[in-house]
Amino acid sequence: MLKVRIIPVLTFNGFGLVKTKQFQQPRMVGNPVQAARVYNSRGVDELLFLDIFASKQQRKLNLKIVSDVIRECFMPVGIGGGVDSIEDIQALLKIGADKVVIKTAALNDPDFVRKAADFFGAQCISVAVDAYLDDSGIYRIYTTEKGSIPANEFIQSMAEKGAGELVLTSVDRDGMMQGFDVELVKLAEKNCQLPIVVSGGGGEPAHFTELFSQTNCGAVAAASVFHFTQFTPLDIKRELGAIGKPVRL
Amino acid sequence: MSAVVIDYGMGNVASVQKALRFLNIDSIVSNDITAIQHATSLILPGVGAFAQGMHNLRESGLIEVLHQEVMNHKKPFLGICLGMQLLATTGTEPHTCEGLGWIEGTVRKMEEPTLAIPHLGWNTVERTRESEIIQHDQVDCYFIHSYHFDVADPKVVLATVDYGSTYVAAIEQDNIFAAQFHPEKSQDAGLAMLTQFFKKHA
Repeated sequence: MLKVRIIPVLTFNGFGLVKTKQFQQPRMVGNPVQAARVYNSRGVDELLFLDIFASKQQRKLNLKIVSDVIRECFMPVGIGGGVDSIEDIQALLKIGADKVVIKTAALNDPDFVRKAADFFGAQCISVAVDAYLDDSGIYRIYTTEKGSIPANEFIQSMAEKGAGELVLTSVDRDGMMQGFDVELVKLAEKNCQLPIVVSGGGGEPAHFTELFSQTNCGAVAAASVFHFTQFTPLDIKRELGAIGKPVRL
Repeated sequence: MSAVVIDYGMGNVASVQKALRFLNIDSIVSNDITAIQHATSLILPGVGAFAQGMHNLRESGLIEVLHQEVMNHKKPFLGICLGMQLLATTGTEPHTCEGLGWIEGTVRKMEEPTLAIPHLGWNTVERTRESEIIQHDQVDCYFIHSYHFDVADPKVVLATVDYGSTYVAAIEQDNIFAAQFHPEKSQDAGLAMLTQFFKKHA
């Protein structure tokens, strides 16, 4: 039986790891290579490394650091940040990335996702869907600021363009550690059949059991809970196991 | 004398080599015919479409030497993911085409109306018979694929995986071991299988 995945996410600013709150106030939380080593030794299911300022600052990923991170990992690694060409993806796969996460390029040119999925196979093309709830109660996509594209339309279009997976982040819940946005997950599940990695808001094991019992979610990414609390991915998996979810212990 | 990881432009070579380095297995990444002839064992990794993989092997002029070494000289062979699927007689991704034909069968798209495709994540590999390489009846490994190997002869199957239907997870026949999952990405469980593969063929 397919196991649910608990995925630590490392958000990077070009120099070190940072953790944001609602995509603002990046706070330094350490060194990516050391963090990757710790997560590998803890046997996490997967790791996500995202340079969250690459597109905004029009930088490319630092392949040396990415490669040092990947070298620590004997589990799958997804890499994102400023990926906007076939060559970018090729370079990341070549140094051992299993998936690339595309965001800005998917918004600017949805056909790029189709091109990438056709070229490399959908299984290695993830699309980041960063969504916030606007004042009228509609989920919309956050780019470098609050944008106007409705989240459901973007999700449908990414599924149609052949994305292999979505990394769905609630901007409102990011770094708040007060629970996941279950409604957003339900919206995404209604609009595509893709595997979804849910992110934003996990602060304690109860938040994860709530998410997994109310949605069909198969994977969750989290950062703050691992940076700032005593809980490890294993603690969370034990709790999920206790409510009958299949986990790899 | 070392293992050769076949370089044919189909991804994940770095991860495989990293795992071998961790296990202290000497290896080189190469598409050189002489290197393949002198290799102690051959590893065919691969991510991507079947037809593209066969095209690349053909363009690199490797099909004949691989057949010679693996099928005639019985050199230890490890196939991973697409590197397992290419052993089939026929592929269908994205169109019908010929495979290496070492293991009779067809690689088809997975059809699971109620489940997400690709089959992606950690799933239980269930051993269907005794083997030196897979030492446990059930072990979690990492899968990422949309196509599966429908083998003609169930005797070649070493392990299966349940994802709606039962699919082939690993094949073992004489000198050939091949996995649909990624041992190099499956932490201790996968590294143990790689260790056993090299121990068996030491």
